[in-house]
Amino acid sequence: MATPLYVGIDLGTTNSTAAAFDGEKLTLIRNAQGANLTPSVVRIDARGAVTVGDRARRLIDSDPQNTRSEFKRLMGTSQALEFAAAKLSKKPEELAAEVLKSLRKDVEQQLGVAPTCAVISVPALFELPQSAATSEAARLAGFSRVELIQEPVASALAAGWSANDEGSWLVYDLGGGTFDVSLLETRDGLLRVVGHDGDNFLGGRDFDQAIVDEVLAELLRTQGVDIRRADPRHATALRKLKRAVEEAKIELSRTDELPLLVPGAFETDNGPVDVDVVLTRARVEAACAPLVQRSINVCLRLLAAHGLEPSQLGKVVLVGGPTAMPFLRSQVQAALGAPFATDLDPMTLVAQGAALYAASSGLDGRPAASSAQPAPSGRKVWLQYPAMSSDLSPHVVGRLVEGDSGPKPALVRLVRADGGWSSPDSPLSAEGAFVLSVELVPRKPNTFRLEGMGADGKPVPLAPASFTIVQGLTLSDPPLSRSIGVALANNAVRVYFERGAPLPARRTFRQRTVEAVAKGSTGNVLRIPIVQGELEWAHLCRLVGALEIRGDQLKASLPADAEVELTLELDRGGRLSARALVPALGQVFEQVAQLQVPDATPESLQEGLTAARERLSMLRSSAFRRGAPGVVASLSQADQALAEIERDVEAARGGDADAGQKARRGLLDLDAQLEQAEAGLRWPELEETVREELAVASSWVAQFGSPAEQTLLDEAMKACERARAGRQQVELQRHLRSVRKLGNAAFYRHPSAWEWQFDSASSRVSEASDVSKAEELVQRGRRALEQQRREELRHVVEQLWRLLPEDAQERRLAHDSGVR
Amino acid sequence: MSLSEKDVFARLKENAFHVLGLRPSCTRMEVEREGQKLLAMLELGLSEAAHYDTPVGRMPRTAELVRASMATLRDPTTRLQHALWAQLPPGTPAAQVPAKEEPASWPEAPVRLGWRRPG
Ligand SMILES: Nc1ncnc2c1ncn2[C@@H]1O[C@H](COP(=O)(O)OP(=O)(O)OP(=O)(O)O)[C@@H](O)[C@H]1O
Ligand SMILES: [Mg+2]
Repeated sequence: MATPLYVGIDLGTTNSTAAAFDGEKLTLIRNAQGANLTPSVVRIDARGAVTVGDRARRLIDSDPQNTRSEFKRLMGTSQALEFAAAKLSKKPEELAAEVLKSLRKDVEQQLGVAPTCAVISVPALFELPQSAATSEAARLAGFSRVELIQEPVASALAAGWSANDEGSWLVYDLGGGTFDVSLLETRDGLLRVVGHDGDNFLGGRDFDQAIVDEVLAELLRTQGVDIRRADPRHATALRKLKRAVEEAKIELSRTDELPLLVPGAFETDNGPVDVDVVLTRARVEAACAPLVQRSINVCLRLLAAHGLEPSQLGKVVLVGGPTAMPFLRSQVQAALGAPFATDLDPMTLVAQGAALYAASSGLDGRPAASSAQPAPSGRKVWLQYPAMSSDLSPHVVGRLVEGDSGPKPALVRLVRADGGWSSPDSPLSAEGAFVLSVELVPRKPNTFRLEGMGADGKPVPLAPASFTIVQGLTLSDPPLSRSIGVALANNAVRVYFERGAPLPARRTFRQRTVEAVAKGSTGNVLRIPIVQGELEWAHLCRLVGALEIRGDQLKASLPADAEVELTLELDRGGRLSARALVPALGQVFEQVAQLQVPDATPESLQEGLTAARERLSMLRSSAFRRGAPGVVASLSQADQALAEIERDVEAARGGDADAGQKARRGLLDLDAQLEQAEAGLRWPELEETVREELAVASSWVAQFGSPAEQTLLDEAMKACERARAGRQQVELQRHLRSVRKLGNAAFYRHPSAWEWQFDSASSRVSEASDVSKAEELVQRGRRALEQQRREELRHVVEQLWRLLPEDAQERRLAHDSGVR
Repeated sequence: MSLSEKDVFARLKENAFHVLGLRPSCTRMEVEREGQKLLAMLELGLSEAAHYDTPVGRMPRTAELVRASMATLRDPTTRLQHALWAQLPPGTPAAQVPAKEEPASWPEAPVRLGWRRPG
């Protein structure tokens, strides 16, 4: 194969697609049935033979015990899926691997080469364990290298590749199970993801569910038959009905009215019950409109978070099956106003973008891509250049590989293969390196020859002798969709990576142990929980993994307040690794335990549900008492959410693991929502706090701040005011934090600052974990104070702080964190 | 050195413009071009890219720092903040402390400032 093979795969909940890019044009991959879409369905028969795609999908209804779909929604969980006839159980990533294998084979069929690497898309809001499971699936499918790209970024890349518009735009991707929306900006050919938002549990299947509920409600109304989702007896019939409903829904994108007839669908105590209803477009729309509205609210929230009005959008790109529905289009159009990008295929855009991304990350899928070219002969050069670049004159940097023998060039030059451009001859630096800027022909793969010349002017062969840069869109480093940090024992979060931070990223912070861990004891564990989310409290963030150091791994006992140097690292696809160095022992711990979405057992869900219900009713009565109508109104949303979670918990009890996961997420979201409502009740207090803190900080900064700090404070105060006016709590608190930081910085320049801190810390000596040590410190502090040794005093105070305890309850909330 | 001086120091030494060796007036494309070049040079271990200069001295340059700086300068708001610091190198904080008129002591200040303990 002469041209590069960049492969992109959209691994969807419902359908999967592959596309290839050769540097110039995009090709969609067809499967054995000649279709671009392969249903993400896997069947394993009694002999263990695996069928993937449409042939498997057709057996979902007749043979549900051996056919599985929608496993993408369980990625990253420990939920195994059973195949009864083969007596096998498979993890979600193993099933995803089957789909990937089948697509890989299709690429081979069509292009003659089985790709060794690929880019696979994942929803932007996938949590870390879900991404990790996707990478694992790719490995199982035989890809030796894989990168992940967020689905909306892929769509954007594909949309940006075929259009040249500059400005802000939105990608609205409503799939089978997930909704993603991204705000993007293109300027000077540089595509930047400004932000995203979404709902991991909103998609076409929720439309189906809403329509099923509507049909069941009609059965109750007209025939008095009450069909419950929790009743395992109806599981098969419900599945069948859902399938029929889905087909009707798709059909209704084109017609106005459709009979839905499923004879003898449900077995009841009084005999079989038929489903015989007429579905009209209007009825389907009425059932689905609230779901569409939910997606629109997410869009508006995203725009608001970035200070944009819908009218400022240049266009909206629609992606995903449900966006074919006319009513959805008009509802979205009415709410956002911006025109839809036409002539983009909503079903394959993601895969196309993933293939483009493979090119921009230089992920050539040809087996041993380098050996596809004639064996390189000549002096080896290590080259660095962008595989894809929006810049028309990017840099190429090279360096002779040390230790390689052969004649050494004195000069190098780059020549574009079309002969239209060449660089000046340039001498190598003392390190044997060169930095040259090249000129690209727009929208084309540009091949350059690398030519070397000896001091005598004779050519010196170099390897590689040529390389290619595609001129196109540059995607800036993919941003992190949710902040990641470590839960601290006081239930605060130490943020390691802020949302929007460019990937890959690595960060090290020093933490301290709260209590001792005895050597040799397995029950004694230092737990470092890793969480993801934007909220201030650890318990409101999602636990995505934990690093655990057990007593039996320790060379010596670890005292309380020991230093732990914790490093978190994320690769471009958002895969997390963690590493803890304990300097006192010289030991390093690396394995991240429990990189998994927590299980959602019906019992634990029920517990969560009961707690949420209590919290809601308490909130409501106090909102009434305080006469806060805004909060009361916001609680009715929580009511709806609660009702939905109840339904899901019920379905989970009926054996639907996916509904269980959905309920788990729903509960977390509800918690956050209630937290907001509680904060809403406290809003007047918050406003008061803000006023005071602003006054305090500005007085400190005025006295001790630098001019630059003063300018920053003015900015931060303006931002606070904007957030206050817009009643945006999270924003307000965020800006308040920077105000506080500036105020603090100035405060500590006050000559007596540490004296005051010393007074307050020494008043709590009796609470210290080591009282005698604390008392000793207080004595030392007093002496330091008398002798006016401020540095020493500060040192004492910091040590005192570390001896003061953390609240046990807060610690439990903080996922049992053992560090601070 | 007090916490605050450390803060100021950090702002200057990790200033995105300094890291990339660009002026606050540079264009977005220059940010990308320079960043891409520096990343390539760092990848090949070229000594020329190994350090950058700031008003508070020479600092080691890493790929992470370059990527973070590029991201900082792509976002208009964070770019503005860094531009301020790149343009207004503050005098040493000690020089700003008014020598005589000390403000009255204010014991609840830490609490008012949201200070409990460093978390
Ligand atoms: N013409 C149509 N009208 C309405 N809905 C449709 C139509 N075609 C497909 N759908 C619905 O679209 C959904 C599948 O969409 P899509 O293939 O984009 O999802 P996916 O990419 O597999 O999922 P995800 O992106 O969430 O992983 C299904 O719920 C299907 O019922
Ligand atoms: Mg999709």
